[in-house]
Amino acid sequence: MRANKAILYALAIGLSLLVLAPFLWLVRMSFQTNAQIFAFPPHLWFRPTGANYAALWEGEFTRSFMNSAVTSTASTVLAMLLGVPAAYALARMRRRSDALSLWIVASRLAPPTAFAIPYFLAYRHLGLLDTRIGLIIIYLTFDLSLVVWLMRPFFETAPRALEEAAWIDGAGFWQALVRVVLPSAAPGLAATAILCFVFSWNDFFFALILTRTRAMTAPVAVVNFMNYVGWQWGRIAAGGVMVMLPVLVFSLAVRRFLVSGLTAGAVKG
Amino acid sequence: MQRLSVTRRRMLAGVAGGAALLPAPAVLGKATSKYAGTTIRGAAFSLPFHQYLSTYFPEFEKETGIKVAFDIEAFPIYNQRMDLELSTGGSSYDVIIVTFIYQGKWIGAGWVTDLDEFTKDPNVTPASWDPVDFVPGVEASMRDAKGHTYAYGVEAGAMLLYAGRADLIDRAGLALPTTMDEVLKVCAAVHGKAGVAAWTADKLHHWNWPPYLEASGGRVFRDAPKDLMPLLDTPPAVASAAWYAGLLKTYGPPGVLSFTDDQALHSQLSGRANMRTNSITWGLPLAKDPSSTVAKTVRYGMVPGGPAGDFPGVACHGFGIPKGSKKKGAAWEFIKWALSKEMLLRVVKEHGYPSVCRRSVIESEVFKETLTLNGQDVAALYLKVLDQLGDGAYMRYRTVPVFPAVGDKINRAIDAIATGQQTAPVAMKEAEAQAIEAIRMGGYKIGR
Amino acid sequence: MSLAVAAAARPRAAKRERLARQRRRFLVWCLAPTLGVLMAVTLLPILYLVATSFTPLDPTNPATAWNFSRPLLNYRLMLSDGRFGNSLWVQAKLSFWTVGLQMLIGIGFALLLNLRSGMLKALRTLFLVPMVLPPIVVGIIWKVLYTPDISPAFWAFKALGWKVATPITSATWALPSIILADTWEWFPLTMLMVLAALQTVPEEILDAARVDGARIWQATLYVVLPYVRGTLMVAGLFRLIDSIKAFPLIYLLTDGGPGSVTEVTNYYAFEQAFNFSYVGYASAITVVLVTVSLALSWLIVRLTGWGADE
Repeated sequence: MRANKAILYALAIGLSLLVLAPFLWLVRMSFQTNAQIFAFPPHLWFRPTGANYAALWEGEFTRSFMNSAVTSTASTVLAMLLGVPAAYALARMRRRSDALSLWIVASRLAPPTAFAIPYFLAYRHLGLLDTRIGLIIIYLTFDLSLVVWLMRPFFETAPRALEEAAWIDGAGFWQALVRVVLPSAAPGLAATAILCFVFSWNDFFFALILTRTRAMTAPVAVVNFMNYVGWQWGRIAAGGVMVMLPVLVFSLAVRRFLVSGLTAGAVKG
Repeated sequence: MQRLSVTRRRMLAGVAGGAALLPAPAVLGKATSKYAGTTIRGAAFSLPFHQYLSTYFPEFEKETGIKVAFDIEAFPIYNQRMDLELSTGGSSYDVIIVTFIYQGKWIGAGWVTDLDEFTKDPNVTPASWDPVDFVPGVEASMRDAKGHTYAYGVEAGAMLLYAGRADLIDRAGLALPTTMDEVLKVCAAVHGKAGVAAWTADKLHHWNWPPYLEASGGRVFRDAPKDLMPLLDTPPAVASAAWYAGLLKTYGPPGVLSFTDDQALHSQLSGRANMRTNSITWGLPLAKDPSSTVAKTVRYGMVPGGPAGDFPGVACHGFGIPKGSKKKGAAWEFIKWALSKEMLLRVVKEHGYPSVCRRSVIESEVFKETLTLNGQDVAALYLKVLDQLGDGAYMRYRTVPVFPAVGDKINRAIDAIATGQQTAPVAMKEAEAQAIEAIRMGGYKIGR
Repeated sequence: MSLAVAAAARPRAAKRERLARQRRRFLVWCLAPTLGVLMAVTLLPILYLVATSFTPLDPTNPATAWNFSRPLLNYRLMLSDGRFGNSLWVQAKLSFWTVGLQMLIGIGFALLLNLRSGMLKALRTLFLVPMVLPPIVVGIIWKVLYTPDISPAFWAFKALGWKVATPITSATWALPSIILADTWEWFPLTMLMVLAALQTVPEEILDAARVDGARIWQATLYVVLPYVRGTLMVAGLFRLIDSIKAFPLIYLLTDGGPGSVTEVTNYYAFEQAFNFSYVGYASAITVVLVTVSLALSWLIVRLTGWGADE
């Protein structure tokens, strides 16, 4: 039995290394010079360089990084402000509507061109192309439904006795929601907010189509860079690492909620 | 992304090494001061000329009081985005690169400004600026039917053949190929020698292949821009497509079908691939870039021809002003400054820029000296290509509005042949059918 | 019940009713702004999309806007467009293989890791990495692996003396290379979903199986998997819908090529709209895609019981 377990562990470790290897290779590459990257056979040991990161940081990459941060944060805040009360209301209402559920799920799952085309056409006239506001609005299409679907189960399982007690004490409905219900759902709120942020941050398609330069986000900037200096792999890798760093940290922090976030609450992980 | 190019710019600037600064161009009179304090926004794809020019921006800002801010993007992304930007009539930009393949579309749709209103006004543009000095073949595609000019040439990407390892060809007892048949012969003799692939290219087949199509007696359209019936499945088209796809498949380095310009350049710089035909801009670094491993063995020649003659490609990108710009006057001041004879001479002299569009500059001694590469007079080759171009008739296929869609069909067909998915006749027949459909969708009436 | 008691109860009942009414109004106020915004940001655009699909809209040609003279032109065009047909076929292949592989590998790994052990729990976190990376970074990672000059895999093959084709420029290997990258990115999701479901399997039914003399694999196959069937279905559906949205990997690795080998429908619509500005036609293609994903979403809603009254 113990031998079995040892084999199992070895297998699990081996597999996780295999799965992680491609990712680690990219990280490694971001610390290499171009000559080291192209060397054959590859050097196992090399003196790491920070030059790739330095070059990125002094370039205009920082601006796209800021755009990503601002648009992701703003759409998350908006989606939370609007979506949390709605999720609460849905959790407390007796009747459910199939159509409403379908609408919310479908807007989370629709193919991106479905929104990209009308938004692009409308933004041309509204002057919202290449603006952060334009991106924030389109990120609401998936963030809002995400908030509703993630938060509803939290409110459903929260005991109603507390808020009812608050009403009897003379608190208004709003007060009860803010002072009693929300604090009890704090972990869920945090996880939901982080997932919203991650999804907006990860967006590539909408930013590719709806921004030019001023509002360009970090993922688009990295790809642009890739087309531009196709063989400076060290810098491309460094750009990739910078784009993934915040997301990696955040998502591992809320890993318990990842699955429900990615499946819009269909499965609790 | 502009700043990311610093290394390369520095690299190439090093080439110019300590050339003395010439006095500032005389064009800049006091009249320009009325725009002092404004900022103009420009957009360009990553083009060497722009990198060189931007080193002089502080001078321009000091002399005119106009601030210049440029956004630089990769070529495919720039085109896609600028196309959309212009279609919205946006006022984001005041100066843009009018890309060659979009000239027909953007000028035809009225999205860029008629520059005659500036050049015809002696108060705005002195006679010494001399607009007719720009090579006519280069300017042809930047004019409308009435002869008005909408952009002035920044880069005449004239195609040459360059072999990084000409020594290998010598050793095989051969010379640089001048015909398509010779290309195959030379490739067969040198491929794989010293670990060097014989041929390399970027994946923009619809730019790289047409010279061979035309040399074989074929054409992209029956008579662009008047008759846009595509002719992609004619015998010369099929034969030259098979020839070109076979060249890449048999003699290209691994992954050649996915190469961007930069990757193709790098395959030559690092000595992993030998020959390429493309714009002179991509051939210059082989002789001049400090990271080149082939500077001592590179040799230049004309693009190989065929039974129907020589048709080296020339892509002419120009500076223009979007219709929606609210600072057209200041934008023109910038273009006038950037493309003056004096400035172009400086860029040639100090940076070794090869793709100038002004005849007076091309014929100057400075240019000839600069384009003496590895002991070879490449300036003469460049002029020869521009002469070949004449009025630009054989390049007109590229500047019709539907070309981007048709070009995509060409790319996919060559890919399909090179990867063995389809035979040349089948692939080209399909490309023809799809091209016809795309052209009709674009609202053009065509018929057999 | 005496009259006096009834008289006293009436105001209390009235008060409760008033409270309930106020509460209902409050809930409506919580919900209404969100529904309004959601309608503005999702329903209106979709209606716009459908309307556009009936026009030959090309933004570079103003005459084509709001031109409904031949509403079904785009849809008729689709029927005769070989490249559209091809894109559906590519989509079917991509979906079949990615969903199938992700389910198989996900289930396999989940069964392997479904032990109460601190170390395995830590390892589970490591397995998450691929799916939390931004898709664009996944694209870069695989681009590196598929580029001969810099790929460690190619070095290994070279050292072994094998000659391998560059997968992303090979007609045979381009699609499998996308499938491989996509599977790497998303099998952790199915793995996690299955793991979560496995933890709900009651010990008793496993014990019962054991008492009946079933071996481990038999118990797994005939008891455990049927028990988590529902989750498997949902996981599969989610991956299926997501596979229709495939974009960044294709954009970065193959650009739909070589030829049209990896050109899925969503990608084809993107090219038509934003590379060639045939927005009307692209809208029609997208309407078809939306219909398919709506149908699949509806299946999910039914399977998870989200919509039904409890």
